[in-house]
Amino acid sequence: MAEVHKLSITVNGEKFEHWVPARLLLSDFLRDTIGLTGTHLGCEQGVCGSCTVLLGGEAIRSCLMFAVQADGAEVTTIEGLGEPSQPNAVQRAMHDAHALQCGFCTAGIVVGLTGLLQNCAHPSSEEVLDTLGGHLCRCTGYVNIRKAAAAAVASYAAEEE
Amino acid sequence: MAVQARPKYVGGAVKRREDPRLLSGRGRYVADIQLPRMLHLAIVRSPMAHATISEIDATEALAEAGTVAVVTFKEIRDAVHPLPSIDLFPDSKPALHTALADGKVRYVGEPVAAVLATDAYAAEDAAELVGLDLEPLPVVLSIDDAVAAGAPVLYEEFGTNVANTIRQETGDVAAAFSAAAHVFEETFTIHRYGPVPMETRGVVAEFNATTGRLKVYSSTQFPHLLRAFIAGTLSLPESKVQVIAPDVGGGFGAKCEFYPEEVLAPLLAMRTGRPVRWVEDRREHLISTTQAREQKHKIKAAVDADGTITAVDVESWTNNGSCMFTLATTPASIFSAMLRGPYRIPNYRSVSHSVLSNKTPLAVYRGAGHPQAAFVMERTVDIIAGRLGIDRAELRRRNMLTSDELPSDRGTEIVLAGKVNYDSGDYPRCLSMALDLIGYEAFPARQREALRAGRYLGLGLCCFVEETAIGPFESAIVRVDGQGKVTVLTGCSPHGQGHVTALSQLVADEFEIPLGDITVLYGDTDLIPDGFGTFASRSAAIGGAAARKAAAKVKARAMQVASHLLEVDPADLEWADGEARVKGDPSASVSLAAAAQAATAMSAPLSEDFGFHLTGEDRFQPAGIAFSNAVHAVITEVDIRTGKVDIQKYVVVHDCGTVVNPIIVEGQVHGGVAQGIGGTLLEEFPYAPDGQPLATTFMDYLLPTVDDIPDIVIDHLETPTPLNPYGMKGAGEGGAVGAPGCIVNAIADALGPLGVHLTDDGPYSPAKVLGLVRRTQPGG
Repeated sequence: MAEVHKLSITVNGEKFEHWVPARLLLSDFLRDTIGLTGTHLGCEQGVCGSCTVLLGGEAIRSCLMFAVQADGAEVTTIEGLGEPSQPNAVQRAMHDAHALQCGFCTAGIVVGLTGLLQNCAHPSSEEVLDTLGGHLCRCTGYVNIRKAAAAAVASYAAEEE
Repeated sequence: MAVQARPKYVGGAVKRREDPRLLSGRGRYVADIQLPRMLHLAIVRSPMAHATISEIDATEALAEAGTVAVVTFKEIRDAVHPLPSIDLFPDSKPALHTALADGKVRYVGEPVAAVLATDAYAAEDAAELVGLDLEPLPVVLSIDDAVAAGAPVLYEEFGTNVANTIRQETGDVAAAFSAAAHVFEETFTIHRYGPVPMETRGVVAEFNATTGRLKVYSSTQFPHLLRAFIAGTLSLPESKVQVIAPDVGGGFGAKCEFYPEEVLAPLLAMRTGRPVRWVEDRREHLISTTQAREQKHKIKAAVDADGTITAVDVESWTNNGSCMFTLATTPASIFSAMLRGPYRIPNYRSVSHSVLSNKTPLAVYRGAGHPQAAFVMERTVDIIAGRLGIDRAELRRRNMLTSDELPSDRGTEIVLAGKVNYDSGDYPRCLSMALDLIGYEAFPARQREALRAGRYLGLGLCCFVEETAIGPFESAIVRVDGQGKVTVLTGCSPHGQGHVTALSQLVADEFEIPLGDITVLYGDTDLIPDGFGTFASRSAAIGGAAARKAAAKVKARAMQVASHLLEVDPADLEWADGEARVKGDPSASVSLAAAAQAATAMSAPLSEDFGFHLTGEDRFQPAGIAFSNAVHAVITEVDIRTGKVDIQKYVVVHDCGTVVNPIIVEGQVHGGVAQGIGGTLLEEFPYAPDGQPLATTFMDYLLPTVDDIPDIVIDHLETPTPLNPYGMKGAGEGGAVGAPGCIVNAIADALGPLGVHLTDDGPYSPAKVLGLVRRTQPGG
């Protein structure tokens, strides 16, 4: 418990240096140490996907990683993806399609889909479903999330051209 | 009276005003709250299902760095009352629980000790070091075991595990049975699953020693009731308790309950003088947050030669787990009052028992008794239709109340909610619409053709009527500032239902102003003193009506102010586009902003009747329950080699009265259906014979994922309820009510050719379906 390590990490473009316990989860570091509470914890068992962040551009579950493992890494959280007044393509599509209700799982889905689109501008519908398959939502029944994802893919592709 | 302007927003697919904040990670849930000097609470939970507590040893835990305190029942005995069960009617056994176990534990997960430490990791470490010496007692898990003669009893003082029994009777059941052409008897069982919101529970409590006031943030559906419960349990005046429900990540019934941690965190904040935070982890959630549904039913139906169901006689048991929770009797009560759904069935008797066992406490979950009722009734109807050789849609039609027969006093009653008097609706039309949308006529040919190719298709129907929009009241305060901007305070406590948008729509239409001029605030008992909360599909209907009534009151006051300012008779004024105008002279007008400016303390000389400020408060108290209704229809394919049930098409035709916002209503239907599908195909809380819960992670408790839920075809019928000035009924729960009955009917239809007879609601996992299929094979 007492053993601490120096962590240098870039989150949403901002550099942080902290001494952290070895067992501190990346998710707890983001939420409690640097106050970015948009990343949510739905299970801390690696199943629900609510805690998804981008690590070096790849979507990962921040509850399954120690903060010290992210030493030197660049992390993007939901707070880094778009202001309320300036949503990205995924956020816009989810608003248009009523693809969120309580909003708890939403950040993970926005980050997951954004990560997919950033790595692959023209994902197949199987790839989209594969990404969504890693996120549990208890409110929407996924119907409108599928619609939003398809719309986000279309508008992202249009913006690329 | 001015001609009512055409609604601009109500009925429109207005995109949610809540979204931008939530989509960008700017929500604020209870676990996001950090306060200076905050302590972290961890709960030591019973590892045994039934035991007496011999000793609790905190020595090691207290020696751990960071530990501030370890508290057991002994230390709180004098400070706390048992947690109330509000639907426990007088003849019930008060099997109430305490915030920490009092000498005995009755389920795995029951709070035994509370550990406070300086951070959450340290609190969990210390909790693991608390030593428990428990003497095991015999465990009672199933309904049958709990009611068996000589069964071990959970509460010795009662001498029985039956906490209460509800009896309802109408008509002459005995005469109907002796005159019946056919009598059908079945036993149905419903398994245990539950709400399981994505956000677990959590509480942050802060005590201000100077004012003597507690501020409690909780992930709750009912802050005002919670205020009363915390105050009552800790013997504080309500004025000393403020409850705030911040953003709440789903509830579905699990959070309209009062939990031990909502007593412990406030109490420990008072004792330590430091803020106390408790956030449930998922394992705790799956063993200690209320679970739902588990029931058993013995039903007998009297039927005439033409398929008219003349009587139903039912005895049912609900497995309530270890105690009577906040809303513990409601599932049994709604089941017994609502079993007959849309069918006439003039003679009816129901006896419903709430039974105690060594499982996690059971309480309400989306639909609360309705899904069980719809499952039992709709399986029964299909079985009757099959045996009599009458088409199942036709049998339903013959027994269905028509709109001419409404209102209809059903002769039953729901605890807390009141008499069952169906107000309005067109049940046969909903059925016809659903049959058309699912392709009922063409289905038998499709089914036969598929069967020839070795594929098992089935179609299932589920018709139900649902108690929604219950009272006793909801409150609203509407305030207009000098810029004409409107603040709406509501006693509702939304957590995903989009009430900020829906209430804005209603109020914007009343004032005829843009949606953006309205701010809706909620979820703080200091902000609005009275409220009831969000559950029982009540908020848009009751809270929406209260908000619009309050707005109408404020508008009337603005007209009075305008009549004074313009020096015209009020009768010569009309309201249009957010202002009062002289009839025939639109240039002579007073805007909402001008009226608000005039109605301040500074602007004399308004008479005293106007009061000060353009503010109004109102309540809506419905004269009765509004009953929504729906028909669900589904086509499934059952793969008899893999046991997989595939949903090919899902149709919902529903009537929730006036629809304020169709996208929100459809979203509620989607979510409800998904939960019904989850419960029927995937989700279960199983227990080992010694009472150990076997679903403690999301690897064992299988929530539906994106691949499990099909697109859902929805059509609305809008029969405004006469019980609400704006016609709304409730829409939040129906999706979950219809799914189990219609999916199991479809599976039964698919497997009919194999002679499979289904009397339970699942979950129809591949393993279960394969087992059913194998038993029909030679040597199986």
